Amino acid sequence: MPFLIEHISEVVLAMNILVFLAASFLIVAAFLRRRRREKYFSRIDALRARYTPIVSGMLEGKIEYGKGLDTLKGITGSDRFRVLELLLIEKKTETSPAPILRQLCADLGLVEVWQQQLIGMVDAKGRQVSRVTSNRIQEKSGRLGYLVRASSAHHLGAIFHQPSWPLLVKALGDAHPDVASVAARSLAAIGEPESFQPLLDCLHDVIQNASRQVSLRSIKMALVSFPLEQAAKLLPSLRHSHRRIRFLAVDIIRGMAERRAAENEDFVLDAQTFAPELSEIFLSRLISDENPDVRARAAPVIAYLPDQRATSALLILLGDGEWFVRMHSARALAKQKYLSCANLIAGRLTDAQWMVREAATRTLLSFGREGLSRLYDHALTTTDRYSKEQIGDEIQRAGLVPVLLGQYAQDRNGKETQVMELLAELGKTSCMLEALEGIPERNLRRKFLADFGRHPDPQIRSWVKGLASGKPFSRLRPRAAVPGIPAPQAGRA
Amino acid sequence: MDWRQIFYHSMNVFNVVIVAYFFLANGTYTVLMLLSLAYTWVHTRCLVYQGLDEIRESVVTPPATIVIPAWNEQEIVVNSVRSILKTDYPGLEVFVVDDGSTDETLARLVDAFELIKMDLIFRPRMATHAVKGFYANPKIPHLLVISKENGGKPDALNVGLSMCRTPYFCTLDADCILERDALLRLMRPIIRSSVNTVASGGIVRILNGCEVRDGQVVKVGLPKTLLERFQVVEYLRSFLYGRTGWDAMGGTLIMSGAFAVFHRESVIDSGGFGQDTVTEDMDLIVQLHRWAVVKGRKIKMVFTSDPVCWTECPSSLVNLGRQRRRWQMGLCQTLWKNSEILFNQRYGMIGMVSYPFQLYVEALGAAVEFLGYFMVPLALLFGMVPPTLYILFVCLALLYGGFLSVGAVLLEDLTYRRYPGYWDLSTLLLYAFLENIGYRQVILYYRFQGVVRFLFGFRQWEKVIHVGTHD
Repeated sequence: MPFLIEHISEVVLAMNILVFLAASFLIVAAFLRRRRREKYFSRIDALRARYTPIVSGMLEGKIEYGKGLDTLKGITGSDRFRVLELLLIEKKTETSPAPILRQLCADLGLVEVWQQQLIGMVDAKGRQVSRVTSNRIQEKSGRLGYLVRASSAHHLGAIFHQPSWPLLVKALGDAHPDVASVAARSLAAIGEPESFQPLLDCLHDVIQNASRQVSLRSIKMALVSFPLEQAAKLLPSLRHSHRRIRFLAVDIIRGMAERRAAENEDFVLDAQTFAPELSEIFLSRLISDENPDVRARAAPVIAYLPDQRATSALLILLGDGEWFVRMHSARALAKQKYLSCANLIAGRLTDAQWMVREAATRTLLSFGREGLSRLYDHALTTTDRYSKEQIGDEIQRAGLVPVLLGQYAQDRNGKETQVMELLAELGKTSCMLEALEGIPERNLRRKFLADFGRHPDPQIRSWVKGLASGKPFSRLRPRAAVPGIPAPQAGRA
Repeated sequence: MDWRQIFYHSMNVFNVVIVAYFFLANGTYTVLMLLSLAYTWVHTRCLVYQGLDEIRESVVTPPATIVIPAWNEQEIVVNSVRSILKTDYPGLEVFVVDDGSTDETLARLVDAFELIKMDLIFRPRMATHAVKGFYANPKIPHLLVISKENGGKPDALNVGLSMCRTPYFCTLDADCILERDALLRLMRPIIRSSVNTVASGGIVRILNGCEVRDGQVVKVGLPKTLLERFQVVEYLRSFLYGRTGWDAMGGTLIMSGAFAVFHRESVIDSGGFGQDTVTEDMDLIVQLHRWAVVKGRKIKMVFTSDPVCWTECPSSLVNLGRQRRRWQMGLCQTLWKNSEILFNQRYGMIGMVSYPFQLYVEALGAAVEFLGYFMVPLALLFGMVPPTLYILFVCLALLYGGFLSVGAVLLEDLTYRRYPGYWDLSTLLLYAFLENIGYRQVILYYRFQGVVRFLFGFRQWEKVIHVGTHD
């Protein structure tokens, strides 16, 4: 039979009907879904209104535990499990998960369900439990089972359920990377010391086994959140032949130390928290590791060591052949106890790499008045323009120009006048002049006019003239003349 | 063969082309819609265990810089920056690059944030126009305003990129408002990925009609005008199932530069933001794909639909036309520039599916569809198409367009439900059908203009004026 135009019309008509029906179905589905969700949420809201005060009361000890538990057991319906999760896990975010909350989750059967789900509901009991959950669709579909496993791992971590750590360790080997990542996070939240080693093994496995798709950052994040006392377990990793494993081990210790230092300004890696073998390996072996990343990340850790040799180790790293090792070392030295190294740090102000110069400048600035004085001395004596530029940059960024002006007001022929002259010479006058414009004190302006009015640089004289006539400097300053310094020359960063 | 026969033949060929285009385009969109329905549904389930707190609090979380290029944005820039400074992210830096504005953009920023002009060192990592000055306030150390000579958006982004010190940077348009945790959410796939994720894009939603307080969207609502409402549906379609669907297939070729995070060194190594197209975002994505293939790097680009950035859409036809012409012209320029990707197996899904789709359906399709509006009625006039078939086909085109848009609205309602009221849902569904009558044709006209401008070698960037609906 030939295919006639009438047949095409019929096909197109059929398609019209089909598309119309499909669109109608989507519209109906949208409204039905909306209605269902509204019902669901109003039920949740009602349950929240009713049960949240009970949960809060139990956590605060105002309601007797047994009585509250019985009331919560009264929640029924196919979504009972989900409702309980919402009520209890939400509370966790508001207050710290008290042991009562953990007990409540266990007594209501949530912990058991989460544990069953985490191990993939392999036994009959697990399947039976899963029937009461609202995640039936996900459970029935094997490929999406990871959503349930990952959520369960998350919940166990959220309530810091310590007895679940062996299950979570097992989950580190899950085929789906999400489950392994969430399990790592939950293990970190629980903080069971024995789980540190399995996490570390997992890290090794991910590095050495290309087929494992777990995010290295997630495992590292988990390890970093353990207390520093666990760092001794990283010794074999620090001695490992794989350069990346050594690097990550050093970086994890650095993270642990920095976390602790953020809590306590006077933090040091003493023998109680940091095993002597670890200190030794940092001071003797890692500072000469063939991987420059290892050397770079070792510097901040060494800086926290109370050992006498730490300073010399840091100074060795400060002279390393790799610029980023020098940069990390310069940054690590930004502690008052290394003030005695200021001269050597100042030596890095003429480094060929600008990020090292910047780190050295910032470290000196962190030493306070004394460091600033060193910076001024260096800026006034060095012939290195890049170094001067860097110092000028940091003085502006740190908001030190008004301080400089204040000191200049008190000390007529001191260093400050010369530094101001230097800044003017370098073309870094915008900040200074804006500060001068904003200063109500007439004497300072007069002093500035007197000192700089006869300056040999005609541009500086013209700015001063502008100041004298009361014109805003920002308008006088030729805008095109401020594109920064010329591009660095060859061999300079 | 006389001219009549040539005409008839041509008309027949064109009719076949338009029918093929219709089925190819709608077939692909349907596949994308179904894919994204499944993908987004799974993604929303994953949000239960996303662990944003851990990312926020960890010392391992990589710091990031938000780079905001701004040119003549005096009406909105201060509120935008205020909102962006509240972004919840550890170690965040914010750079605003004033691209030689001729209005008060810079002055308003200086006043609002009490910035002081500083003469800092600029170390360009790629060729850019001259930087005129830096403005900072030591009390807000994570904000830096850079003033430069006008050189276009890519040039401004390159200046920001040169100043950037963090391993990742986020490009953000000056008219955008970020949800407080949007950057955390955008960085999440990067942190969780086992492969070097060089780009991560989020969803851009329309701000018009929403209530903004203190730099944050406090109430989501639909805009008042027809034109803006149509764009709401269009954005839902484009982001929720266009981008998501391509991401599910591993064929991401477009990521909105209005809100995306990139790996700094990968971008710099690949050459930075190109200045030879008017859509620097798409250009960069394609450039990164090429760079990865040339260098033999294993990279990943992801699109996630839960990090939200709110943007002001054009509220007038003039501005809408400017925006769409630019998008279409940029698409054509980028595809032309990177034509070696077409059916190149080395690029996998990008070369074999994504690029050909963008070329034949999105770029050339605009011209085919536009001409179809004239040629098919002409065929009807000459008796080459029976009137019944013509009417049925037009109905099918309208219905199918509506079906796809309804799919996007349903997807939104199934997952994020940002428009909570029944009235909003009904309105969106109504506009999903209405947009095929009138609005679609207007957009098509602008897109066709974009194609024509590309063919004539037009290069000009058409500025969309933002009136400022913030606060």
